[in-house]
Amino acid sequence: MVDTGLRCRIFCSAEGAGLMVRDMLRESRFLVKDRGALFWLLLAFILSIISVAFGIAEVRDQQRTIAELVQEDRADRANALEGQEDWGGAAYYAFHLTYAPPSEFAFAALGQRDSSPWKHRVRMLALEGQIHEADTRNADFGLVGRFDFAFLAASVAPLLLILLLYDLRAAERTARRHDLLLATAGSSKSLWLPRALIRVMALFFLLLIPLWVASAVEGASLGVMIQASVVLLGTLLIWWLIIELISRIDASSSVLLTALVGLWLALAIVIPALSKAAIETRQPLPKGGEILLLQRETVNDAWDMPKEATMSAFLEEHPEWNAHATIEQPFEWKWYYAFQQLGDMKAEPLVAQYRSARLARDHEAGVFAFLSPTSFVERSFEKLAGTDAASMIAYEESVRDFHAQLRAFHYPKLFKDEPFDRDLLEGLPAYDP
Amino acid sequence: MTSPLEARSLSLNREGNAVLNGVSFAVAEGEVFALLGGNGAGKSSTLLAFLGFLEPSGGEILVNGKSVADDIAAARSAIAYLPEAAALYGHMTAYENLNYFLDLAGKSVKKADYDDALNRVALPREARSRRLQSYSKGMRQKTAIALALLRETPILLLDEPTSGLDPVAIDEFHDLVKDLAGAGQTILMVTHDVYGACQVADRVGLLRRGQLVGSFAAENGERIDTETVHAAFAERETT
Repeated sequence: MVDTGLRCRIFCSAEGAGLMVRDMLRESRFLVKDRGALFWLLLAFILSIISVAFGIAEVRDQQRTIAELVQEDRADRANALEGQEDWGGAAYYAFHLTYAPPSEFAFAALGQRDSSPWKHRVRMLALEGQIHEADTRNADFGLVGRFDFAFLAASVAPLLLILLLYDLRAAERTARRHDLLLATAGSSKSLWLPRALIRVMALFFLLLIPLWVASAVEGASLGVMIQASVVLLGTLLIWWLIIELISRIDASSSVLLTALVGLWLALAIVIPALSKAAIETRQPLPKGGEILLLQRETVNDAWDMPKEATMSAFLEEHPEWNAHATIEQPFEWKWYYAFQQLGDMKAEPLVAQYRSARLARDHEAGVFAFLSPTSFVERSFEKLAGTDAASMIAYEESVRDFHAQLRAFHYPKLFKDEPFDRDLLEGLPAYDP
Repeated sequence: MTSPLEARSLSLNREGNAVLNGVSFAVAEGEVFALLGGNGAGKSSTLLAFLGFLEPSGGEILVNGKSVADDIAAARSAIAYLPEAAALYGHMTAYENLNYFLDLAGKSVKKADYDDALNRVALPREARSRRLQSYSKGMRQKTAIALALLRETPILLLDEPTSGLDPVAIDEFHDLVKDLAGAGQTILMVTHDVYGACQVADRVGLLRRGQLVGSFAAENGERIDTETVHAAFAERETT
């Protein structure tokens, strides 16, 4: 036998859901007649299409660049190795392409790909200078930001939501319709909640549809698409709550709009800017140029240093070559590559400091992001797209790993003075992103 | 017998100012009670109190015998309210406005009934599919009156209901109010129109500076004497 209280709860909740559906249908019909709201919603849809189109165009451009570079890389290397007669020359002249291909969801958040290099041509010389001399392709976008979906969701969508919701009550008060509406509705809940909710949902889906279509076209996983949808919904709900709290103030539409736009400026621009400044002060970051300079000075100084000093420092890192480290000629490739590696070793503390400071900045930015929904959303999208700082640092690490493989391939041949065998070049490590 | 509308020693404050001070009255079922008073007398505030928009600072306000404070939704569901400036949506037609507000009230009404109500308020047929922004003030008021009719609530609160209506429409409205009362609807209207109040009301209460200072009732099937009420109104307003 079903408990009477339980039956009532089931019945009441079903009745409540039915009333909510009825209210939502009424307000959706009302929304269709509201030209102002329709304009903002249409704008949101168009902006969403534009943002994903820009993102896809940029990703396609990067993919095309990578594909071209991969083709050229093979041809260039084959050409460079053609005339070589020893292992040292082969290692010196052969460049190797490394790159971080954009993920299937990168179109939605290009993130750090605009400010961190995602492709390099490295050879077996000192590596850190090669990593840090690479220019970013879109450094200007790194400064001003790019109109991708993450920017739309984080910064523009809240503004559109403000424009859709800020004067729901105030406009009715101004039109002297407020009391009639509430007297007719019976309760404010059955009026304002569905009226606002239908706008929030309309904005959500109009922003989301282009994203889902683009995600499907680009082959993003369902999991990523769902997570991105949850992030978008979350930010809209948070901003709805903020707007709801502010718009309950009995003030004119213009006062409410000013207050909300001011709050948006604070949360979207002022707090992120202040937190960025605070983080940069707390976590000083060595410049990439300093690493480059230190490594080059070390390499250049090595030419004037006694070869034994270079080799003994090198052997501390590579004792396995102790029996093969005697330098008898004025120039030997193994000595040359030894001081190249010493350049990296000298720069290593600065590189570690650079890396840990970037990670610390990223971590602190993640903490500060809880103060700014805008930063939080951008970071969430960048993480989903694999364009966050951690992903770019991981790419740099993969370049170091690959370079270590190059050294591991060449060192036995150089230190054991193995005869040059072109066929063995087939075994050269290949970068696998 | 429980009165549909009752104010017991009602006092109201708005923004720190006393607008009603110990006002008591009851409106019986099928009765038209007009509260008459000058600007700032507290007439509109009285209606808002019955709708639960203003909380009494003293006394009690009851709808169908229940305190409004205890169940505002129940009070509102029993009342159709016609505000002074009938502010319906200008970007919607009369039909669309009626449809929206009736939906809002949770009332399902046939389309044919819309026309019946609009016929009763004499809104021209050709205007009904036009947006209200092209309406005169009187036409908007008629649409709002039609809405109040379609709500079919037992109680009707009217705030300066003839404001903006032409003399013919005012007479037609008075007849309509009498018909509604005859059909059992309880009507509380607030107005500063002495003639109109006497034409339509079974009782007239004179409100001055937040206090009920006089009451006049129709007797023996006669209407309330306008001259008497007007004299009392003028006297009270000038003293």
